[in-house]
Amino acid sequence: MLTLLIFIPILFAFIIVVLPSSARASFKYITLLATLVQLCISVWLYLNFKTGAGFSGIDHESQFQFVQKIPWIHLNLGGLGTMQADYFVGIDGISIGLLVMTSLVMVIAALSSWEIKSNLKGFFALFLLLDMALIGVFCSLDFFLFYIFYELMLLPLYFLIGMWGGARREYAAIKFFLYTLFGSVFMLLVMIGLYLSVKDPATGNHTFNMVQMMNPANYEIGSVFSTLSHQTIFGFPARTVGFVVLFIAFAIKVPVVPLHTWLPDAHVEAPTPVSIILAGILLKIGGYGIIRICLGIFPEVASSGAWWLGLLGIISILYGAFNALAQKDFKRIIAYSSVSQMGFVLLGIASQTAEGISGAVMQMVSHGFLATMLFFLVGVVYNRVHNREIYNFRGLGTLMPKYTVFIMIAFFASLGLPGFSAFIAEAFSLAGAFKSSSVNGLLPQWMAVFGAIGILFSACYFLWTLQRMFFGSVSLKGGEIWKTALVDLSTREIIALVPLALVVLAIGIMPSLVFSKINDSVLELVNFTKNIIH
Amino acid sequence: MNLTHPYEDITTVYYALAAVLLPLFAFLVNVCLPGKRNKISGWVSTLAILISTVLSVLVFAGIWNREPLHVQTLWFTIGATKLYAGILLNNLSALMLLLVSLVALPVHIYSTAYMGHDENYKRYFSYLSFFCFSMLALVVVDNMFLFYAFWELVGFSSYLLIGFWFTKSKAVQANKKAFIMNRIGDVGLLVAIIILFTYYHTADIVQLFGDNAAVKATQISALWQSIACVGIFLGVAAKSAQFPLHTWLPDAMEGPTSVSALIHAATMVAAGVFLLGRVYPMFNSAELDILAIIGCFTAFMAATIALTQNDLKRILAYSTISQLGFMIMAMGIGAYASSLFHLATHAFFKCLLFLIAGIVIHQMQHIKDDNNLDIDPQDIQHMGGLRKKLPVTFIAAVIGSLALIGIPLTSGYLSKDGILVQAFEWSDSKSWVYRLVPIFALLAGLLTAFYIARLIVKVFFGELRLLKHHPHLKIHLGDGGWQYRIPLILLAICCFFPLFSINPVIYEQSWIVGGLKQNIILDRLDIYHTIIPVGATILNVFVMYFAYNMYVKRKTFAFPQTGFLYNLSYHEWYIDKFYNTVIVKPIMALSKTASWFDKYVIDGFINLLKNTVLILSKIAAFIDKYIIDGLLHLLTAIVQQIGNFARNFQSGKIQYYLFSMLVIVLALFIYFLF
Repeated sequence: MLTLLIFIPILFAFIIVVLPSSARASFKYITLLATLVQLCISVWLYLNFKTGAGFSGIDHESQFQFVQKIPWIHLNLGGLGTMQADYFVGIDGISIGLLVMTSLVMVIAALSSWEIKSNLKGFFALFLLLDMALIGVFCSLDFFLFYIFYELMLLPLYFLIGMWGGARREYAAIKFFLYTLFGSVFMLLVMIGLYLSVKDPATGNHTFNMVQMMNPANYEIGSVFSTLSHQTIFGFPARTVGFVVLFIAFAIKVPVVPLHTWLPDAHVEAPTPVSIILAGILLKIGGYGIIRICLGIFPEVASSGAWWLGLLGIISILYGAFNALAQKDFKRIIAYSSVSQMGFVLLGIASQTAEGISGAVMQMVSHGFLATMLFFLVGVVYNRVHNREIYNFRGLGTLMPKYTVFIMIAFFASLGLPGFSAFIAEAFSLAGAFKSSSVNGLLPQWMAVFGAIGILFSACYFLWTLQRMFFGSVSLKGGEIWKTALVDLSTREIIALVPLALVVLAIGIMPSLVFSKINDSVLELVNFTKNIIH
Repeated sequence: MNLTHPYEDITTVYYALAAVLLPLFAFLVNVCLPGKRNKISGWVSTLAILISTVLSVLVFAGIWNREPLHVQTLWFTIGATKLYAGILLNNLSALMLLLVSLVALPVHIYSTAYMGHDENYKRYFSYLSFFCFSMLALVVVDNMFLFYAFWELVGFSSYLLIGFWFTKSKAVQANKKAFIMNRIGDVGLLVAIIILFTYYHTADIVQLFGDNAAVKATQISALWQSIACVGIFLGVAAKSAQFPLHTWLPDAMEGPTSVSALIHAATMVAAGVFLLGRVYPMFNSAELDILAIIGCFTAFMAATIALTQNDLKRILAYSTISQLGFMIMAMGIGAYASSLFHLATHAFFKCLLFLIAGIVIHQMQHIKDDNNLDIDPQDIQHMGGLRKKLPVTFIAAVIGSLALIGIPLTSGYLSKDGILVQAFEWSDSKSWVYRLVPIFALLAGLLTAFYIARLIVKVFFGELRLLKHHPHLKIHLGDGGWQYRIPLILLAICCFFPLFSINPVIYEQSWIVGGLKQNIILDRLDIYHTIIPVGATILNVFVMYFAYNMYVKRKTFAFPQTGFLYNLSYHEWYIDKFYNTVIVKPIMALSKTASWFDKYVIDGFINLLKNTVLILSKIAAFIDKYIIDGLLHLLTAIVQQIGNFARNFQSGKIQYYLFSMLVIVLALFIYFLF
């Protein structure tokens, strides 16, 4: 089933590539169909996802669900043994929520691709390729496979930003590409190091299996990343170096201040569907990677460095919020608000408490939907008048009442109004961070208090934007031309926005929609890290 | 469902649930109704709140002075912690439920007429119903997280309603300010909840603050206990407009007046006091003292500001702040029941006064529109003599004002003098400094008498001052239809003592005080119970007479409109200005700095890296082109030269061959010779 989920987009992409260019009007429908099929499959997965202590996943290979494990690369390297990489996919509680979120966001992204007018074949083929890579990342349990999907994302994204983006698209695309490549190149080295350290207890071969990497017993004595041998790299403990390198790779994706500056540029220059994918899904890969790989494979380093992770989380929350307050471009505000909100994810993860990690996963799911909604909404205005400067608009509430309703929903949901998902997520990330000092002593309590201040500033920048752009009497820089151009939402746009609004509302009122699926895995993860440390 | 008292009748709980959910239902219906000015929406909302009121009465009858009801169901599980959602009905919540719906009902009726000509009639009633839902839910929920949720939702609906006329830039600034200041309180409350949740592993109000209060049973570190209390206080201060977070309330008057009456006078702003009532066992005596001092200070400060304001609604807003200060102070001095009693009585008379203000403003607006004047319809300096034109309104206004001042036979007398008496009793057991609290409270009471007398006199007595400047005004005014009169009459009746107590002079015999008694009871000093009410009443009457003389008969002197004290009061103690310079501007500067840092330092570093790499690559290219390639070229050149040189020998001419042979032989000869 997962395989189907991963490779369906590529199937449709193939159809698009094969079809003649004269059929280009149908490409968007084909893409939409692909994402819809994918959504159906992931909803089916969600409904059939079993919960209970026996299905918690994390470090038990047998407890993953919908597993498919096929030997893939088996190279006999003579004296070096056999190189073993499997096609190994499976999901547990950490991934299921993100998987459903990704599928829904891809549908919305496909719907917002209507605005693309040039070179449709290329766009939609790359779009679907990206889709495959994203789903693949969330499903892979083999590091080699994970890495391939991870790198495969970059290629379509680079072209999607660089070819269909705004004025400074090339600068943004290169910046994005180099930033993320910088992270992943070193990740490759750590991956190989891990491969050489870990042996599959069944076959005796080295393995890329991530689940086996979590078990310290599988490490070869004396190998680089073995817990017992205390190897060093450049005078630093090897496992610390490994953790830091992986963390930097994922922190760039999250993004964690100070590795975030690719994000505003990439978002601002990218076309709307790509902004949606970037903010909605790509950022979550960072958080997911930190949980699954950094925390899973190097739990003891994650614990000893938790203070720093928490600090980075706090800095992201506050620094992102302050930056958002100072922006004059509508899209940049949203971009920086993403930085701020993803800070809660890092804070929650750093706490290593059940509340914190649940809150972090919840925040990722919730932010996936909300960022999608926000970027879609920014795209609505930009498409109509090709301008996003806040001070060029006033009184949009009178001109576009339906649009303003959705803006209000998205803004208030993002600033953590109870009843919407972000409230639960932020409240429990903070509760976890606060609880940490009494449970495992990782984070000091003041961090939670500072994080809470971030909630205050999110209200400031969102409400200020509302006041400046949407309320007051109508006054537009473009005068009458803009006035006629700024028509209210079309049916297609409403169809895209309504499910998002309903989902964030549903999760906000019934958080168990998410928590019931992730709980066992989160508890298992917390237990696992606790047992490793003590 | 998990019933803590299985033998209890669960219908009461269903009534309460229905009372809470009906306004939500009305909200949803209204959202779905077509048209912007659909008149049905007003009736849907009013009908919903009417049924809610009836149900609240039933709930109240079933709960008051009986066993509390607590029903809950599993909401969600996070990690190993289970969170329950439920309804907690005890004396406090039953009283609040009844109070909120009782006040909301007349406001709804009033609004059908008051907002009748507004373009967005339907939107107004949707918001109003949503507010009622959040407020009613707030008073019955049993869990701190849910409490926080509805706490913020009432703030949100207040935001929507303050900015109801969102094309007015002042209204939009006001609602932003209100929401952000409330957010400060929300953050405080959230931190407090997280602290409680962490240390007591529950968010259940009964377990935390009930009979076997967890907060009393186990001690937590003093530091975090105080931080939690500060957080709760911030929440209270923001919602109930206490110093230092009170400045949003006067600005919130930009909303429709009916909204001010319901939300910013009677119900939402009282939520802070209600929160204190819920979490009361948490505070220790030192914290309660601070609470009393802040409440007293707020009461006094707001009363002094109200003295000199000219905007009708602003005066009432500051009056509300002042009265809320009384309630907070009452909580601080241990007069728990009196505080909530005052909350209840204040809800009626302040709501009444605001509805009256709405009528007056509407009439002034009519005059303005009919005559194309450029005046502020809320400025009391233009008004006067309206008592003949608006008789019902006038009588209601006088009743409301007397209740606010606390003249005997009114409800305000019972509740306010109760607080004063207990404040004196409280200060008896403390050092002399604490004596200032009741004294300032008494002063604030006298100031109240003055400013409300000034308001009534300026609005209703004398002659219409507009006529002085515009002698030929067309004026046709009236109290308005039954939608205006009935709410006024209803609320005015609620301003008298019989609703609250059979005995009009002894507050302790009021049933509210009887039903909400806490264990802490101050020593009863009989002397205070006679001297203070009598003295306060005499002083109040004197002050009112003084104001009447000053503004109507112009017998006595007029206060000078210069001088430090006048300016301090007129500019609202400069608090907004202070916040603007000390908080808002630095934060904006900080955000600018952050943006600068992002652009020039972080991105600058990235660009530096990029440039370094570029320069390195240029150097590499240079080396490639000139040094490595240069070497290669040199090599080829040398080879070529050698080749050329050697080629010279192969010219094919016999003479050259002979010549070169000779040269070589000669060379060899010379070589061997030496």
